[in-house]
Amino acid sequence: MATAVEEAQLNQLEIQVDNGGGGAWEYLCLVRKLKARRSDKVLKHGLFILNNPRARSKLGEEEFTLYEQVAFAAMDCRRNDIAKDCIGALFKKFPGSIRVGRLEGMLYEAKGAWSEAEKVYTRLLADSPLDQVILKRKVAMAKAQGNSAAAAEYLNKYLETFMADHDAWRELAELYISIQMYKQAAFCYEELILCQPACPLYHLAYADVLYTMGGLENLQAAKKYYSSTINLTGGKNTRALYGICLCSVAINQLTKGRNKDEKDISDLQSLAAEGLLRDYKERAPKKLSLVTTTLRNIKMVS
Amino acid sequence: MGVGFTVGVLGALLLAHAGYLTTQYRGMLKIIDEEFSGPPAGVVIELLLGLLLCMVAGFAGPGKFHSILPDSEENRIVKLPSNLDFMIFNHRGSVLPFDPELKLKI
Repeated sequence: MATAVEEAQLNQLEIQVDNGGGGAWEYLCLVRKLKARRSDKVLKHGLFILNNPRARSKLGEEEFTLYEQVAFAAMDCRRNDIAKDCIGALFKKFPGSIRVGRLEGMLYEAKGAWSEAEKVYTRLLADSPLDQVILKRKVAMAKAQGNSAAAAEYLNKYLETFMADHDAWRELAELYISIQMYKQAAFCYEELILCQPACPLYHLAYADVLYTMGGLENLQAAKKYYSSTINLTGGKNTRALYGICLCSVAINQLTKGRNKDEKDISDLQSLAAEGLLRDYKERAPKKLSLVTTTLRNIKMVS
Repeated sequence: MGVGFTVGVLGALLLAHAGYLTTQYRGMLKIIDEEFSGPPAGVVIELLLGLLLCMVAGFAGPGKFHSILPDSEENRIVKLPSNLDFMIFNHRGSVLPFDPELKLKI
């Protein structure tokens, strides 16, 4: 998980490396640490280090980590030839390794040779039937072939064994959202919030799902979770502020007929609208008028 | 680091001096033949001051304080890691051209 400081550091390093300021290895390390997916940059700068014998020998044993990282990046950029060379180098150093075997399977996946990839994975699973990454690759393969329902099924089976794997829960939530099974997705996000209650992004995603489902109860719960996101981020999450505004409007529309006399205009929505306007004023003054009209149209500000 | 270290050294010196003063005082008591009931006020003040300085040094010396607030810049999570274990390759980025000159030289 990247905090605001780390994200800024990564972006700054990327600009520095792109402009030839050095620090490519530090950049690659940070990308690996934050698990960011910046394949084009990784491929470019990683290859630069690998093709430079002096820089490469300076890395020592880390060299092979870099080969692996570049291989992933190359597959992601459709440069299977480079990936093949990297995997070849790794095979030479570590013959019979499961980790390299996984890479080989992924190369088949990148080429679209599903049956070959399946064969590789089955062979590897025979040696170590509880290899989490390979089990996850099977899910990814189903997803890549456009079979989201089957992928969700595989992932459910996987989660029965590895319940504490929150990355898998998140993937399952996203899969369910892509096939519009919001109730199930909401369950996954509940699980994630239980797992890491201090991560605002799970609260936000859960609120999004609840808002999408609609209905008075869900909308009220969504508003609460947007509020907790704001609480955890100190009001610096624009999406959560918009969420509060939209939830308030939707709730007002739903309850308009029933309790006319009860004026339930909470401070929350006006505060959220104010926060939004202040945020835009600071960071994007050009769009301020646009936001003001939008908020005025939904009667959030007068 | 420099300030913390100086404060720490000062505190340690004060503590040592307080100890030295106490032994002196006890020596003096023996000469005038009185019972030891407690250290003199000057020594107690010196001791407390030394303790305070050492505490400040202990906090400030080793490193800087980390924020415990969830919304501070160091703790606020702005991005989840890309789920690389579930990465798939037939995405729209694959139609983008990539520099064909790049190659791994073995």
